[in-house]
Amino acid sequence: MEEKTDTSVDFAGLKLANPVFVVSGTSGYADELADFTDLNRLGGFITKSITLKPRKGNPPERIVETDAGMLNAIGLANIGLDKFIEEKLPIIEKLKVPVFVNVAGETISEYVTVVERLATERAIAGFELNISCPNVTKGGISFGTDPAQAAEITSAVKKAAAQKPLMVKLSPAVTDISVIARAAVEAGADALSLINTFTAMAIDIETAKPVLANKTGGLSGPAIKSIAVYLVNKVYNEVAKERRIPILGIGGIRTASDAVEFIIAGASAVGIGTANFIEPGCAVKIIEGIKKYCARKEIKNIKELTGSLKA
Amino acid sequence: MTNEPSKPSKGAFDAVVLANKQIKERFYRLGLEFSGDGAAAFAKARPGQFAELDLSCIALPPIEGIPEDLLDATQRKILLRRPFSFCDVTTEGDKTTVEILYRVVGPATLRMSTLSKGDSVSIIGPLGNGFSIPADKKTALLIVGGMGAGPLIHLAKALTTNRPSTEVFAFAGAKTAEELPFEKQLDKISQGVGFSLAEFAEYGIKSFVATDDGSAGFAGPVTKCFSDWLKQCRVAAGDTIIYACGPEAMLAKVAEIAKKRKVDCQVSMERMMACGIGICQSCPVECKVNDSNETIYKLCCKDGPVFDSKEVIFSS
Repeated sequence: MEEKTDTSVDFAGLKLANPVFVVSGTSGYADELADFTDLNRLGGFITKSITLKPRKGNPPERIVETDAGMLNAIGLANIGLDKFIEEKLPIIEKLKVPVFVNVAGETISEYVTVVERLATERAIAGFELNISCPNVTKGGISFGTDPAQAAEITSAVKKAAAQKPLMVKLSPAVTDISVIARAAVEAGADALSLINTFTAMAIDIETAKPVLANKTGGLSGPAIKSIAVYLVNKVYNEVAKERRIPILGIGGIRTASDAVEFIIAGASAVGIGTANFIEPGCAVKIIEGIKKYCARKEIKNIKELTGSLKA
Repeated sequence: MTNEPSKPSKGAFDAVVLANKQIKERFYRLGLEFSGDGAAAFAKARPGQFAELDLSCIALPPIEGIPEDLLDATQRKILLRRPFSFCDVTTEGDKTTVEILYRVVGPATLRMSTLSKGDSVSIIGPLGNGFSIPADKKTALLIVGGMGAGPLIHLAKALTTNRPSTEVFAFAGAKTAEELPFEKQLDKISQGVGFSLAEFAEYGIKSFVATDDGSAGFAGPVTKCFSDWLKQCRVAAGDTIIYACGPEAMLAKVAEIAKKRKVDCQVSMERMMACGIGICQSCPVECKVNDSNETIYKLCCKDGPVFDSKEVIFSS
């Protein structure tokens, strides 16, 4: 019999049982998925974005399917910090996997207030800083496209997060993603997650109007996978490897093969997003698939696979 | 007492195709059989609920049979599941059969039309709230717009089974006779009320038909046909309930009629959606908060698809 692979991962000071997360906005606050999958088998869980005040979100249509992908413009619709603490924290407390709370806002002080309030909650393992949402007019992506702003917000939120790890989620909508990655790391980011969606548009040719009420949306799904693999590899080579900062690779992962591609490119862990909408619970299948790959390749420890891309 | 493990009320199941009958050009009725936990979950499916079908791996029909307006659709790959409501649910022994009425309109339904007996389909459901059937109503009025027929045929059965004393009338409209999703030939339909639609007649329900072009039944919108009927009939507002499913403009009109006549009304809404289980937040329906001017977005998939017509702010 082949030796079992050690699939555990050290990630920003946390020990994860395996390298597979479900990413923000694609698995709610955990309660919705109870009928479909055992979330305790995941490596990690990232909540839907939380803002200080509740947000209504954008009017319909909010999504449209595109070729091998989908556009969404939800507009950070969420229940707000108070209701999150009251209604969702008790659910999250029951999860045995590390939970990152994805935090968004319009101003730095909003981010800081949310993180400060949650920093003492034992149920929360860490934070993911959303500075890359393309679907809101204020805040969001503007923090993620300018290195000085990225550094400023990262440093402020890192302080607020106290002992808890801070992961910064990067937008691909920049000339050089490594510049933002470096700014975030130098400002104290413990991990990087990439990529968020690409700003994109779909047009209804009968009405000559954009399909989405927001006009543009974020493109996700298999359509962006190869770009995401490239950007993960770029950030790994140019920033993360030297600084020993783990990368959470995200973008169109549907299968274990996709996940392995990201890990070879330099990701320490991977995040499943759009695929959760098609097959809730596919993350568990992906974990099994990664284990089989490692067994077949006689990889004893999954850490060997990270950044193992050959020239 | 034995403690049996509780069966899930919803989930992801594989169903087997029993039949995929073409009822007229571009309209089909798909029969799906569930076993095990899927059968138990779908046995409790209520009219107005829906399921998400994964149609991504189904082959396209032969290109020569595809209408010209759908040729572009053949080049599109399917990523997301597609939501469908049910026109019938039956349980026999440990199997549950779910029937779906659908129209071929794009890449997913084009693939769906090639499903044949024995094929397997991945299905998530049953989802959403479904119609509620109050005990105190003597008359139920079903307003169908085009493909809104499915869940109201299902509701017709539930009403006649569970509330046999309730008198039910159906009003079905479409642009043309060809676009009415009913099996029976409609060329002989008279303008008056009658048992013209077999799908409703089966449950002893009289139906009205309206087409925009007058090619069958009443010439004009179904809402006009319905409001004309309502004016001359003697239903007591408090004893009556309206159920509607169809295009949003039609639902808005039905809601307006219901409000004017002070009749309870439930509308089944439609939105583009991804997950169907309340996670992606992509299917908002704007609703009033009590009697205030404040509005919130409820989710079509989770809070709906059936809403009280009084709470919905219909998009124009």
